[in-house]
Amino acid sequence: MSALGELATLRRKGPKGKVTMAPSERGDNKAAIFFLAPWFVGLGLITIGPMVASLFLSFTDYSLLQPPNWIALENYERMISDVRLHNSLRVTFTYVFVSVPLQLAAALALALFLDRGLRGLALYRSVFYLPSLLGGSVAIAILWRQIFGTNGLINQVLAFFGIQGQGWVSHPDYALGTLMILNVWTFGAPMIIFLAGLRQIPEMYYEAASIDGAGRIRQFMNITIPLLTPIIFFNLVLQVIGAFQAFTQAFVVSGGTGGPADSTMFYTLYLYQRGFTALDMGYASAMAWLLVVIVAGLTAVNFLLSKYWVFYND
Amino acid sequence: MTDRDAAGTASSRDRSTSVNAALPPGPQAQAAANQPAGALTVAPVGDGPPRDDRTARPGGRVTPSAWPSRTRSVLKHGALLVAGFVMLYPLLWMLSSSFKPTALIFRDPALIPTEIDLTNYTLGWDALLHPFSHYLMNSFIIVAGAVLGNLVSCSLAAYAFARLNFKGRRVWFAIMLMSIMLPIHVIIVPQYILFSQLGWINTYLPLVVPKLLATDAFFIFLMVQFFRGIPKELDEAARIDGAGHARIFFRIMMPLATPALATTAIFTFIWTWNDFFSQLIFLTNPNMYTVPVALRTFVDSTGESSWGPLFAMSIVSLIPVFLVFLFGQKYLVKGIATTGIK
Amino acid sequence: MSHLTRTKTSRRGFRLAAVAMAAGLALTACAGGDDGTGTDADAGDGGVATADPDAEATIKFSWWGSDTRHELTQQVIDNFMVKHPNITVVSDFTDWGGYWDKLATTVAAGDAPDVITHEERYLRDYATRGVLADLNEYSDIISLDSIDDSIIAAGQMEDGQYGIPTGVNAYSILADPQIFEEAGVEMPDDTTWTWEDYVEIAAEITANTPDGVYGAQDYGFNEPGFAIFARQRGEALYNEDGSLGFTAETLAEWWEISLELRDQGGTPPASTTVEIDAGGPEQSLVGTNSGAMAFFWTNQLGAVTNAAGRDLVLLRHPGESQFERTGMYFKPAMFLSMSARSQYPEAAATLIDYMLNDPEATEILLSDRGLPANTEVREAVRDQFSEVDQYAAEFLSDLETHIVDGLPVPPVGAGEVAEITRRINAEVLFDRLTPQQGAEQFIAEVSTATGN
Repeated sequence: MSALGELATLRRKGPKGKVTMAPSERGDNKAAIFFLAPWFVGLGLITIGPMVASLFLSFTDYSLLQPPNWIALENYERMISDVRLHNSLRVTFTYVFVSVPLQLAAALALALFLDRGLRGLALYRSVFYLPSLLGGSVAIAILWRQIFGTNGLINQVLAFFGIQGQGWVSHPDYALGTLMILNVWTFGAPMIIFLAGLRQIPEMYYEAASIDGAGRIRQFMNITIPLLTPIIFFNLVLQVIGAFQAFTQAFVVSGGTGGPADSTMFYTLYLYQRGFTALDMGYASAMAWLLVVIVAGLTAVNFLLSKYWVFYND
Repeated sequence: MTDRDAAGTASSRDRSTSVNAALPPGPQAQAAANQPAGALTVAPVGDGPPRDDRTARPGGRVTPSAWPSRTRSVLKHGALLVAGFVMLYPLLWMLSSSFKPTALIFRDPALIPTEIDLTNYTLGWDALLHPFSHYLMNSFIIVAGAVLGNLVSCSLAAYAFARLNFKGRRVWFAIMLMSIMLPIHVIIVPQYILFSQLGWINTYLPLVVPKLLATDAFFIFLMVQFFRGIPKELDEAARIDGAGHARIFFRIMMPLATPALATTAIFTFIWTWNDFFSQLIFLTNPNMYTVPVALRTFVDSTGESSWGPLFAMSIVSLIPVFLVFLFGQKYLVKGIATTGIK
Repeated sequence: MSHLTRTKTSRRGFRLAAVAMAAGLALTACAGGDDGTGTDADAGDGGVATADPDAEATIKFSWWGSDTRHELTQQVIDNFMVKHPNITVVSDFTDWGGYWDKLATTVAAGDAPDVITHEERYLRDYATRGVLADLNEYSDIISLDSIDDSIIAAGQMEDGQYGIPTGVNAYSILADPQIFEEAGVEMPDDTTWTWEDYVEIAAEITANTPDGVYGAQDYGFNEPGFAIFARQRGEALYNEDGSLGFTAETLAEWWEISLELRDQGGTPPASTTVEIDAGGPEQSLVGTNSGAMAFFWTNQLGAVTNAAGRDLVLLRHPGESQFERTGMYFKPAMFLSMSARSQYPEAAATLIDYMLNDPEATEILLSDRGLPANTEVREAVRDQFSEVDQYAAEFLSDLETHIVDGLPVPPVGAGEVAEITRRINAEVLFDRLTPQQGAEQFIAEVSTATGN
């Protein structure tokens, strides 16, 4: 975690910040305890315990039904030769690196479009958010088959052009693709965060730029984007963390199987199967901690890189 | 103290009265913050060009455009409508299916139902042990607790991370982020054991108390990012006036972070409303079941499922979330830009 | 400096608390299991001896299913509580998937339900790990006299009776006579037909019907189908001791026939097949009037018939008279089990007995938990069955003379085999594995999963 310790974004920049901070440092420590009190209690009482417990269990053969036995690194050693685990990593990385950028791009584009200046914005925003409301509803599975199935909407459209489609959602080569589309389709959450972020950009910057004769594109590049970077950064970090844990949609669409032929077997889905179907919670816990290492590593990289492109107002 | 009062009232002011309040930039912000409330928020319309005009609206355009605004507006609406239909198709399909008898749903997948039949709604409403309203109510209780909890606890923690300079801040922040990296499936069993020891199983406590204790790091991080977007000069001005952290938090940060708070409230509402797994595990008494858990009981993958009632009740359960979103989203757009601070 | 020291102590405090909590949790988990095996015997011996049938007791009863089952079961529970006013039954139900997650979690925490609905594939997992009580110890409360002999053994393991079947099922073919007629194909004689007939008929139906209608739905996703196929050849999916009882050649042949069906058009293309399989009974080919034959459990006949909106016919497996012996078997639809840690084992046993043997209960449940395992009660309520269930009951009683024996309890880890079958079948259907490779991989994976 040393890289995370580098959290560049949290470093106060410039002498001005230091000047204000210095005299009140003592007060800050006190105040921090007050402001963080609920969080500390939650961390100690609810968060840390189960986390440490899962770390402990990752060194055991815990089956849920029987007390755990210490087996040291056996679970971790097994992961080295588990081809299905390797496959699930490949599936998950593909999913993260393709669908997160696409989803964020869609979310940002729509947020800019729906920011203001159009009648019925509230309605449009709601319409574009609606798919995200469905969450992991079982209905999603049915709906997705209605679109990407053999007789689904896509194939009906293709048939109109004389192309014979196939069952996209159930073909090992395309099933993951349809899940990525599903993820992009539910861009509502990052879109809302972008919208809120756009509203935090002070008006005056645009006015000043207009007076300087800057066009809309320049305003966008020089004002909107830089001032939105903290929010873009937030969305990037959280969507990456979230996408690595993608579970519900794959679970629901594949009926919990990760199929066909493991083509939508996300890491967390495989972990769940090991833990709850195969009653191998020790191994599942070990998998969870491998995931933490991977995601924490990527998040640290994200934070390190943010130094170069995220602009803070403070 | 007028400055902070101003900030406080500004956020609740309707957008139309305050949208044009453009104030001078940078160093003057402090001066501005010390102005009386009226001058601060309700600046005369002519003071600065309304920002709406940058996109499309007849009248004082700032940016010249090759296209008449009406055509552009029509094009925009057209594009949005087409995209909207694509977004909504699956939902429309679900809506239409909720009007069909279960047996017809898969045999006749046409989008337009031949007749509007409300049987699924009446069937679904009464299919379980209690009328469906019972489960809606249970969900509301949990959601209300969760929203309140996240708003209070996460904003407090976020203020500390965003504005306070305390020892070990980066390490604590890293720990906070790490706490959301573990998949719930390996956490849930130890959590269940913990809550079971506390005697909390079959109560709403495991679903609400963690929110009161800021365990949703997502929202802490979200608010940190938003708080950091609020100009520091405002705090400093208040500090010079002798305000402590509590005052700064309540009188400056909270009102100015309305979009972040609204986002938190809306997301917490929706995500808690849809959260199946933890509600399934922690609530074992069917009287306590919530909407997502109740909805699952319509489906039996090994036998006969009540798809019609499932879709009907899914639609019913979407209505509250949709309404919350529809009415809540206007608070999303009440940022600094509209309240006129700075 | 004072603030610094203070922060340090508080941080150390937190760290200590965290470690203590983790240790505590781990211990609880251990203790939970230990207690479970420990009280097993205590509750059994001491409990029965000192049982006061009128003592107040609150027990939890858990099951999976859909809203229909919840409603019926709740009625039964309400009646039970009227009859036994000292016993309060708390119900705990959810869908199939959620059920197992919840059950494992509550068992881990040591508060498992008192009466647990169980399924073949997980029964041994739970029984051999000391989670379930041996119901033989409550034989004075639970009467097994009228329970169908052909399935009672399915709940027995080396040393005890860990589950009692609620009902009987058989894996068979659902056929749509209307599609047969439309295709101009005659209904086969299911006592003599061979696998070759099956392939041929399926292909013929596809050829004689409009696009999108098929002769049969692929059978390769369900290992019970293979169990029958293997038994016909004198082999078995699992032996009595839980080891694998078939050769790779037999399994490969099973998939070869499946590919033959696909290639001759008898079954849909692979991706359509996968899609249909994921859709469950209602979206099956037969359920949507787009296929003539599909393999299902007899208790799914109702669901598929309702979806299809027309009468269907049950057929025996092909090949039943083709090889060494018949392969079909009766399967317990589900089991009723008791937690070894139940505080009120007598009350739990009373409920189990009521569910199984009370005509009043069966009158309400009818065939919801399978065709009632209690043969006496089954006869008594037969007239009240729906038409479809009466037909299924008849089909099953005709099978009685046909079926040689039941299956042994699947080994520990059998819960995973369903998933392994499904995955490898998809690999075979998409030609990513040959049937031979698929068979070898299946054997390797199942051996690992079941520890053989």
